Amino acid sequence: MEQFLDGTFNLFGDGQAVLIFALGLIGGMLFGAIPGVNMLTLGAVLLPFTITMQPEHAVMLFSVIYCAGVFGGAITAILFNIPGAPENAPTCFDGYPMTMQGRSGKAIGAAVSCSAIGGVASAVLMMSATGLIASWAVRAFGPQEVFALIFFGLAVSASIGAENLWKGWLSVFAGLIIATVGTDPVGGIPRFNEGSFFGLEFSSYYLSAGIHFIPMILGFFAVSEVLTQAMHISKGTRERPKAGLDFPTIAEFLSVRWTMLRSIVIGFFAGILPGIGATLAAFLGYSQAHRWSKKRANFGKGELEGVVASETANNAATGAAMIPLLALGLPGGALTAMIMGIFQIHGMEPGPLIFVNSGDLVWITFAAMFWANLFIILLGWLQTKTVVQILRVPFRWLAPGILLLAVIGAYALRNLFIDVWVMFLAGIVGYLLRRSGYSAAGVVLGLILGKLGESAFSKSMQLMDYNFFGFFERPISALLITLGIAAIIVSIINEIRGADVQKALMD
Amino acid sequence: MPSTAGAALPERSRDLRAFAGPVVEWAIWIAVLAWVFWQTQRFDREIAQYAFGAAGWPRALCIAAALGATGQLIYRIAEIRRGRAAVPEAAGPEIAAPESAAPEGQKPGLWQRAKHLPIFIFPLIYLYLVPSVGFYVATPFFILGLLLILEVRTLRALLGVTCVVYGLVLLLFTRFFYVALPVGRIESFYDINNAIIGIARYGM
Repeated sequence: MEQFLDGTFNLFGDGQAVLIFALGLIGGMLFGAIPGVNMLTLGAVLLPFTITMQPEHAVMLFSVIYCAGVFGGAITAILFNIPGAPENAPTCFDGYPMTMQGRSGKAIGAAVSCSAIGGVASAVLMMSATGLIASWAVRAFGPQEVFALIFFGLAVSASIGAENLWKGWLSVFAGLIIATVGTDPVGGIPRFNEGSFFGLEFSSYYLSAGIHFIPMILGFFAVSEVLTQAMHISKGTRERPKAGLDFPTIAEFLSVRWTMLRSIVIGFFAGILPGIGATLAAFLGYSQAHRWSKKRANFGKGELEGVVASETANNAATGAAMIPLLALGLPGGALTAMIMGIFQIHGMEPGPLIFVNSGDLVWITFAAMFWANLFIILLGWLQTKTVVQILRVPFRWLAPGILLLAVIGAYALRNLFIDVWVMFLAGIVGYLLRRSGYSAAGVVLGLILGKLGESAFSKSMQLMDYNFFGFFERPISALLITLGIAAIIVSIINEIRGADVQKALMD
Repeated sequence: MPSTAGAALPERSRDLRAFAGPVVEWAIWIAVLAWVFWQTQRFDREIAQYAFGAAGWPRALCIAAALGATGQLIYRIAEIRRGRAAVPEAAGPEIAAPESAAPEGQKPGLWQRAKHLPIFIFPLIYLYLVPSVGFYVATPFFILGLLLILEVRTLRALLGVTCVVYGLVLLLFTRFFYVALPVGRIESFYDINNAIIGIARYGM
């Protein structure tokens, strides 16, 4: 507690630190909320300038951008069905239908509050148990456990957004297959860089870099949404969403307290694991909320609990992601890798000794993340009152801007025009997927987890001497694999018996 | 008897139509997966330290997906046989809201379908042209064309939206963030693009 207060005084007692904190907060929220750019864009732009900053200010800036950026992506997910980042994708499922029903204020209000609650809880857990959790996670989580967790995550989240279980799984498999384009993770052998179709040979050097998930997300969500709305405009069937400014009531928040708590736990533990983090956390949080909710039938049609689940979980992952970075020097994602870069720029090495050698840096970072999550409520409230007004602008005026942002976002990622083509083709495919009951979110989930899953699987196989039952010889992987298999069996039984509520409603 | 046979015929054709959808969907999946599986031969090489090689994982996924597609076919055929209602087209969580506005029971004609084609084709033309003529030259025409496709007809809105969107893109991405966007391969367009970048960045 004393160290936290010291960190807080160091943060707010220094004018320069306050300015950097405010810039990080506003910048992260803005970049998270603009489709086509995200917190990584801001991080990449700012990284060179950190050379001249004090290391604690630089690390604090990126930590604040991380917290604010994960929340910012929820705004466009709710207003336009365009997630600002992969971790906001499940927010679209209920956030956008709420906007269509004129309840955008409630959806954004829930996203703001739950992001803050998830983030604060995560920051508190991070402050109290970084060393302990990091050493446990690293000892307990080898490739087998990572693969088992991904398997479990896919097993419980596969049917999200799909018409039925089979279409959900087929969507995930499509994503997993797309993720194999590029090079194989063990031998570096090029895969699907060339091929033939009815005797026509094709090859592309650019495919060796693989299909990145950012253009796919922009295509599936942003481009396909523009195409869908354009079709509605063309048919004269488009309904203009109403701008709602009401915040959720206390009673509404109390009614989803268990969902929030569950999502905090899910988000925190998913966040600790390198490379998995906030995206799987959000999908798991949403799928578990759907599984346990009394209002399952309303999920996907504008249920506040859906927004609460995914936004709490993805922000709960932010604090957790700092644990392996600070305690062990293992960055879990792109932004934490940038923070690692800052440490290297300043000649520092994160690891267990950082708490001894650079206590000030650690605690100013922890304090900044805690306060950033609290400030999200204030700024988010202001944002709710202002950003929602965008809905008053006719969609046909916004569409060119949305498409251009998507084009720039896809291109700027790797300066490859093939990414823009991938994005547009994904947009057309996404449009068709929406009509045929397949899940764009499932494809994206498969794509994001595919490479990581294959890498963990190949390492596991090598370690276990190709014995598949080796997964059951380690308690955590055995538990996760068993739960995953049980989830699949229960889903299949439910599907066959027609017990799934969504299906029952359709029937 | 003839009346019974007459009634059975449309029923049979309705049954055939009901079965055709799932079978065609299954056939498409199997064809695509078979093609992907076949393409894996091109990189089916052994890796010294990994017994499954480079093609093992994609092949396993293809087989699993084929099983999934077959499971879906069996499930849907069983569903039709049980006489349950046909599965509606759009009912997943993410699709419920945007698609629900479409009027039921109206099949668009060929002309109406053709009218929707520019929505899909126009962005592809833009993508084809950008590497040659450059982002900065092609973009204002893209914005204008898209607005026309979206049935914006007033001159004020057409020019206003084009100027505002193009201006914001230049300001944000070219002036502030120095994002390197394609400047074109054709010499004259290359010069124009660079001139626009110069104006956006330095106001000259």
